[in-house]
Amino acid sequence: MTHLLRRLGIPAALAVAALAPMDVASGQAPATPKTGMVCTPQNAGGSTYDLWASGGYMQTPDGNSVYMWSYQDAAGDASFQTPGPVLCVTEGQTVSITLHNALPEASSIVFPGQDTEVAATGGTPGLLTTEAASNGTATYTFVAGKPGTYLYESGSDVSKQIEMGLYGALIVRPSAHQSWAYNSSSTAFDPSREYLLLLAEIDPDLHHAVEVASNPNAPAYDFTAVHNRYFTINGRSFPDTIQDNDSVLLPSQPYGSLVRIQPNTPGNTQPALIRMINAGVDNHPFHPHGNHTREIAQDGRLLVAPGGATASTEHFAETIGAGQTMDYLLRWDTQSTDSSGQPYNDYWDPNSNPLPVAQPNYRNLTFKDAHTWYSGNPYLGYKGTMPSGTSSLNICGEWYFPLHSHALNEFSNFDQGFGGMGTLLRVDPAGGCFAAATATKILSGTLNAGSYANLAIDDGKLYKVNSTTTGATRVADWYGQFGGLPAGATNLAITYKGSNSSSASQTVYLWDWTTSSWTQLSGPTSVGTADVTVTPSVISLPANYIGTGTKHGMVRIRVRNSKASTSFVTRGNLMKIVYDAP
Amino acid sequence: MRAVAKMKILALLTAVAAVAAIAVVGASGASAAAVTVDLCAKAGSVTMPDSTVVDTWSFVPGDCTSGSAGAGGPVLEANVGDVVTINLTSDLPAGHTASFELAGLPVKDNGDGTFQFTAARPGTFAYQSPGDSGRQQAMGLYGALVIRPAGEGAGFAGSSCSSAPGAVYGAGFDRECVMVLSAIDPAFNADPDNFDMNGYLAKYWMINGKSYPDTDSLAGGGDGSRLLIRYVNAGFDNTSMSLLGGDELVIARDAHPLTDTFMAVTETIPAGATEDALFVVPAAAPPSANGFPLFNRNLHVTNGADSPGGMMTFITKP
Repeated sequence: MTHLLRRLGIPAALAVAALAPMDVASGQAPATPKTGMVCTPQNAGGSTYDLWASGGYMQTPDGNSVYMWSYQDAAGDASFQTPGPVLCVTEGQTVSITLHNALPEASSIVFPGQDTEVAATGGTPGLLTTEAASNGTATYTFVAGKPGTYLYESGSDVSKQIEMGLYGALIVRPSAHQSWAYNSSSTAFDPSREYLLLLAEIDPDLHHAVEVASNPNAPAYDFTAVHNRYFTINGRSFPDTIQDNDSVLLPSQPYGSLVRIQPNTPGNTQPALIRMINAGVDNHPFHPHGNHTREIAQDGRLLVAPGGATASTEHFAETIGAGQTMDYLLRWDTQSTDSSGQPYNDYWDPNSNPLPVAQPNYRNLTFKDAHTWYSGNPYLGYKGTMPSGTSSLNICGEWYFPLHSHALNEFSNFDQGFGGMGTLLRVDPAGGCFAAATATKILSGTLNAGSYANLAIDDGKLYKVNSTTTGATRVADWYGQFGGLPAGATNLAITYKGSNSSSASQTVYLWDWTTSSWTQLSGPTSVGTADVTVTPSVISLPANYIGTGTKHGMVRIRVRNSKASTSFVTRGNLMKIVYDAP
Repeated sequence: MRAVAKMKILALLTAVAAVAAIAVVGASGASAAAVTVDLCAKAGSVTMPDSTVVDTWSFVPGDCTSGSAGAGGPVLEANVGDVVTINLTSDLPAGHTASFELAGLPVKDNGDGTFQFTAARPGTFAYQSPGDSGRQQAMGLYGALVIRPAGEGAGFAGSSCSSAPGAVYGAGFDRECVMVLSAIDPAFNADPDNFDMNGYLAKYWMINGKSYPDTDSLAGGGDGSRLLIRYVNAGFDNTSMSLLGGDELVIARDAHPLTDTFMAVTETIPAGATEDALFVVPAAAPPSANGFPLFNRNLHVTNGADSPGGMMTFITKP
């Protein structure tokens, strides 16, 4: 199901009717996450796969289209994908993979790192393993061995077939711990932050030679003349690498490689896991910006010291050799102090731990292009104003760092940089994006003191509204308006913290733009002179509460306090929204 | 106390017809010995699997009165503590003088055609003639030196593999093989004096001076047998060697034992470096009838444009 729309080759809207019967049959198919490693579903009934080896085209960011060979999990041109499907199995499972060879020559699959017997049925003996003849099949069966990250690739005429793209990822998970990379608690990771970066290179001249091989004037395929021009992560070159999984823009390249993490919090201490595979022929010095990565394993083998302790190592650049795999843990810690009480070097807060240097005046800076990922503010989760003529693609003060090959000729698309073997690490603010009110409006009552700006931080600086002063029921009723929430934001988490000069009944609402009415989130609750924090449960259908058109990105949170007979003042301390940006 | 051969010069290449003339420098016991090795640097050729004949320069045993040069020199063996004198005869074309150096151990040039070093520590080393700005190495003037613990006998009886058990840094092995990795650009070899090295582009990739299918397989022994693979990268590329059907324990790099040994399936050996890795023959059947493939994962597995070929061999079990 993962690539069903692409396989059908028709736009999503048209595919709904075709999808529906399959959804009924198989239950609700989970949507492909936009980022992160995507496992290809096993065949019904267990850990069996059918893979077709065939040809197709991939797109490069410079507008080129390159002929590839690859594995795909369904027959037919519309199912072509590069690299091959990500196969996820569990240690001890018997895995059976049937290769259907649609190539014009014999082909096969080998499984480096599997040290149990790979039994082959069908096919004929080849140099490295049993091969399926052109239009033939062969089935490889093995018991998944040690947990880890593995490559599977062609074992036939490898200097052509691997160069052409016949490779993919095989993930073996521990049987007892699906969210450990290995059978060691030191390798526990956050399952929502599991990433795969499969590296490869492409020489378009060699691919052209294969594409036109049936032509009597075709150039010879001579691998000693290899001159790679495109450098890929998960089958895409930067900036295509940061597009979503299953992007409709890249119909045969389903796997993105944007790495998204959030700072670790006391409630989520697990790191992200980055599985790296070098399926190419060059050794790549891979360089993470932003934070070091901790290498925990090579070739599906945990790094351990004598005595069994971890022998993992931290890196800001590490060469991953052709055919190797390496696993890395990546953390982003925002606890303000470490265990010894020292502030973390990379933890900065404009209020509690400001940067020790003045920020540069943007009028003294040149932004290279008209668009930037930079938020205009150096603090995580804060945005600033960009110089005129420069627009920021930043959503909520998140950070972007390159992850790339530091062989800088590989950080290009046919010698044009930046491009190629690069992607981005995106660090979102803890918990998600943070939004503060950008305006207020009083529905009943009058302004006592303060403004929307006092609502941004839990600091005792207050936005105060006088209740009405006549009638049997006195009401202080106002809303905070938020701007700039992106369409597609999810998991809207609202916090309101405030008090009253004397006890009143408080109800909190959210404006539904589709019905032009208020949806009650909490209350009525009695709120007295002490601050009360209201955190309604996460809102379903968040799109209904984010304005469109001229109200684009607007969210309104209403606080209504009422009390019989006696006037009062309601006092807002903090009003914020934390959400997952698209 | 059994007699221990302290120093042998062993021809790797079947092309070298000097096996009978190998000098065995005998000494007894574990005490250090002074040993002398006659080496000759001379021009010769190798015939590649596609029948291309490539001119080479290479080390051969002796004083240049016998033997013919192929690609790569003999495996030298010594015991820790030996004081080794290399008596080098240079028979290279006019204008070229061979010399002798080791990566990782100091060598004294006596100035009279002899070179002296102390086998100070055990391990796998590369020796080479560094002259002409590396062109002599590119022509084939390199080889492997194995320094064994005191008391361990020489093992490479005329081939690149030995079935004699031994130990390296305390890790026992049942068999061992040397894997000297290198490459040839025949255009360079045809004109080593004038070739523009900016245009160097290797066409042949070799293990112990041979390209597949001429490479020698590695006899791994039966299930559980421990095969020590001594990699020597005498070429110019960082080379990733991939195993299928098993893995290897990397125990030393550049003749220094690793504190944290690790298991590898594909291991990168930098140009000029050496590495010791232990392959334990799995009980499972190998993926190929030829054995467990061990090949260059940078995919230099061609002879020119012909595939398969190049830097590929197999570990066999009975």
